[in-house]
Amino acid sequence: MKVVGARLPRYDGVGHVTGRTTYVDDVRLPGMLHAAALRSPHHNARIIDVDTGPAEAMAGVRAVITHADVPTLVYGHLSGAGIDGDEPLLAKDFVRYKGQPIALVAADSVQIARAACDAIVVDYEELPTLLDVRLAFEDGAPVVNDRFGNWYKEFEGGLEARQIRKGDIDRAFDDADLIVEGVYRTQAVEQAPLETQVCVAVPEPDGRLTIHTCTQALYFSLGVVCAHLELPMSKVKMVGGTVGGGFGGKVDTASDTLAALAARKSGLPVKWRWTREEEMLASSTRGPWHMEIIDAVTSDGWILGRKMLTLHDAGAYGRFSVYGLTKHSFHHTGAYTIPNLHFDGYVVFTNRIPTSAMRGYGVTGLSTAIEVHTERVANELGMDPYEFRLKNANRVNDTSPNRIAYEDPSTVEVLQSIAAATGTELDGSLRAMTRGERTDDLLPDHLVGQIAQGGHG
Amino acid sequence: MDLVVNAVSHEVDSAPLTSLLEVLREELDITGPKAGCETGGCGACTVLIDGEPRRSCLTALCMAEGREVTTVEGLGTPEALSAVQQAFIHHYAAQCGFCTSGMIVASSAYVDRGGSPDTGAIQEALGGHYCRCTGYVKILDAVAAVARGDDADTMSTAASPTSSYVSIGGTGNGGGGAA
Amino acid sequence: MTLHRGRGMSTIEYPTGMNQNGDPSQAWIKVKPDGRVDVFSGTADIGNGSKTIQSQIVAETIGVPYDWVTFDNSNTDSSPLCTGTFASRATFVAGNAVLKAAREVRGRILEIAGREMEIDPGDLELEDGSVSVVGTPARSMGVDEVAGAATFVHGELLTGDGAHLNPAAEIIDPETGEVDKPPHAAISYAACVAEVEVDDETGVVRVVKLTQAYDIGRAMNPTLLEGQIDGGAVMGLGFGLLEDSYPYYPANEHRGESMNTYHVPGMEGLPAVENVLIENPSTGGPYGAKGIGEMANNAQPAAIAIAIHDAVGVWVTEFPITPERLLAALDREAAGEDQPRREGKRVIYDEHLSVNTVATAKSWRP
Repeated sequence: MKVVGARLPRYDGVGHVTGRTTYVDDVRLPGMLHAAALRSPHHNARIIDVDTGPAEAMAGVRAVITHADVPTLVYGHLSGAGIDGDEPLLAKDFVRYKGQPIALVAADSVQIARAACDAIVVDYEELPTLLDVRLAFEDGAPVVNDRFGNWYKEFEGGLEARQIRKGDIDRAFDDADLIVEGVYRTQAVEQAPLETQVCVAVPEPDGRLTIHTCTQALYFSLGVVCAHLELPMSKVKMVGGTVGGGFGGKVDTASDTLAALAARKSGLPVKWRWTREEEMLASSTRGPWHMEIIDAVTSDGWILGRKMLTLHDAGAYGRFSVYGLTKHSFHHTGAYTIPNLHFDGYVVFTNRIPTSAMRGYGVTGLSTAIEVHTERVANELGMDPYEFRLKNANRVNDTSPNRIAYEDPSTVEVLQSIAAATGTELDGSLRAMTRGERTDDLLPDHLVGQIAQGGHG
Repeated sequence: MDLVVNAVSHEVDSAPLTSLLEVLREELDITGPKAGCETGGCGACTVLIDGEPRRSCLTALCMAEGREVTTVEGLGTPEALSAVQQAFIHHYAAQCGFCTSGMIVASSAYVDRGGSPDTGAIQEALGGHYCRCTGYVKILDAVAAVARGDDADTMSTAASPTSSYVSIGGTGNGGGGAA
Repeated sequence: MTLHRGRGMSTIEYPTGMNQNGDPSQAWIKVKPDGRVDVFSGTADIGNGSKTIQSQIVAETIGVPYDWVTFDNSNTDSSPLCTGTFASRATFVAGNAVLKAAREVRGRILEIAGREMEIDPGDLELEDGSVSVVGTPARSMGVDEVAGAATFVHGELLTGDGAHLNPAAEIIDPETGEVDKPPHAAISYAACVAEVEVDDETGVVRVVKLTQAYDIGRAMNPTLLEGQIDGGAVMGLGFGLLEDSYPYYPANEHRGESMNTYHVPGMEGLPAVENVLIENPSTGGPYGAKGIGEMANNAQPAAIAIAIHDAVGVWVTEFPITPERLLAALDREAAGEDQPRREGKRVIYDEHLSVNTVATAKSWRP
């Protein structure tokens, strides 16, 4: 093999270093309009009235789009997976987060478009807000999500939480010598690509739409646009593939559909480039996660069981959150084998920007929580953190939380490598460990059963 | 108003207080400088004005009148890459490429004024330039290489001085198996 | 003011491909009359290097030089479906689609070459843009000649298509979360050691060095791989210490609205980053690849938090670990309020953060 494995330069490197790569914002077309959005100034409010008349009357304004212009107003990001949509493309009766779009204006210049947004008159009735996921379940808590309430309640089997149950959790806690509890809270993070959300929607003479898009997922975005516009996929051509950074924040590019509506209404190409302020204050973030972990361990360093509660702060609407939480649940034992599990995870809605994917979706905060907790447990046991981790590290044919046999887990070798690279001398018994199947001292009775629980692999 | 960009004189119609970035991109269709934030916070729009790196988003058109404006397009072409551009390819200093125009302009100014290959000095010189992809590691490698006068082969990329490789077997079967 | 040094280690795992799979990618390839290869794939390049990696896979698999390959992911009219560039799926899943398409093209080239050379295609090999007879390398024919012959003599188009879909894993028991088949394309593993310096007066933490070990499956292009891992290290540092959309969470106020006020890690004060990259080829990934882009920012935050504990003896479990939070933890420690509650064999940390303390309804009391 010569090409795979070679240190070849980037395919598009020359374009990048000479400023010649064409990003969406570099697309310019004759007659192209510029768009701006009117966004909610409130975290939670009822919309009593929207008067777009003053904006429509302004010179240079070519189209004003509101919810009434969207053929299918609500379409869920996970509709394909059977999860109902809950988010209107443009707010109709309520705004549930500050920054939620209410109207889009396309005009001869972005300055006119912004002035026209300012001219739209919206009458709001402000409502109390829910911001703390821990308070979402209280009686009388403000209701955030019109479809699901304050938490998603439609997991398979009609469950309100994503559950993992494995082994005999009560016995694990009874048998434990030590129980360690901790609470971990990780934050919302901006994907912050250098390129802000941007698109150019072009009405074609044959009735099709061409949409220049910064999406990370051309076909996902094609499906979303076609669903909202009630069009077959033949009527829309997504043009993109060259993206100025995404990190998960450009999978759900709401800009595409709205610009397409403005292009159809005006009959002209429409560019909508979000300002950095919009990117920071109105685009989706990595979601905050509230995680409580309780581990049952033995004095000689085995993790017998884990109870865990996760409240995922989804923001005001679901987007990909059910997916993210499910992924989180599947990985809540980290790189370790824990035979007895009791996990409950909730997708909780709050009056903040809907969260979405970001690098490590569902797991970045989880890895953080698990590892800090693991270190605390090792400290409480007075055990070397390498030894504690290596002992419990997953092995070939150990089973995951959802009962899948690990095929080739390399946690042991990875730990040995990091120790060697940082000058940590491991005991001979730890150096001799491998990822191979558990035997002898590494297969105590309580782990025999977890292997028997596997089988799908 | 006359504006000299990349050694070409343009008659421009934009108002005197229009940002240079907007004039370059929207009136002259010179799209190398990027609108990353338009508030001076990211560095993606950086151009040279009389050889000094400046945020074009914070520079009014009238401030550039009568001076030499150089954008990334003026530093080299695909057929004749500058030393900094070659090094950015060889050291893989550009990933998504959106910060790259500004990085290259600022790096060019740094090496042109005889900047040293010292990491701290490069970090200081490029301090306000944000990159979300690279972690800056390979950008620093690239600029240091140019400052040292190293040659850069644009048909291959440099081995990392800080990464080592080991092999532990594995179950690989080449991929592309039946779905 | 005292500077305290500390070191912390974490180890993690992360899946390749969408959770529960079921995420297809497709590709097709055509060959021009001079043997040059055009790849059509719907995989966006977000900086991760999809264009480069997929072109490498195609060149390698067909047996032509890298610079013979053009890659077009520009639109949904000419490129078939790709679920997208996320979930560390582009190299593994979409890479498999182009791999399969390239195998088909290779087969077609050998078939036409066999006809031209009047030899069984099974006795031919293809490397570096040249078809030759196994054991008789002097009997050879360029892929350019083969493509020309296909076009102008045989009236045929050299083309290939490929699709990859890891079948969807269904949750067969919602009570337990049991699934019926592996819910990932592969799993990768990593560890990180952070060395920090903590200023106990200002609460500022400086990460001096990050050492990382990654099971990367197979380094398809070591330089691009290192780019992902270096970039992830700094993003993980941002997560651990700097970045927060809501600095007074759960309050919605005081958000950073610009690059000046939201704390993306900058170039100054960066730690040294060293990587050990462990090749452990995956089952089913193209040439053994795994997806490592996403996990690259997962191990650092905990390693940093543990290093801070090593340095100054306090745990901060609300992220990021800002100077404000760290100083508050140091104050609590000085006041003797930092200790967990101990009750029999139970050790209860962070009780003030718990749902059980904060809420009254539907508290979680296992």
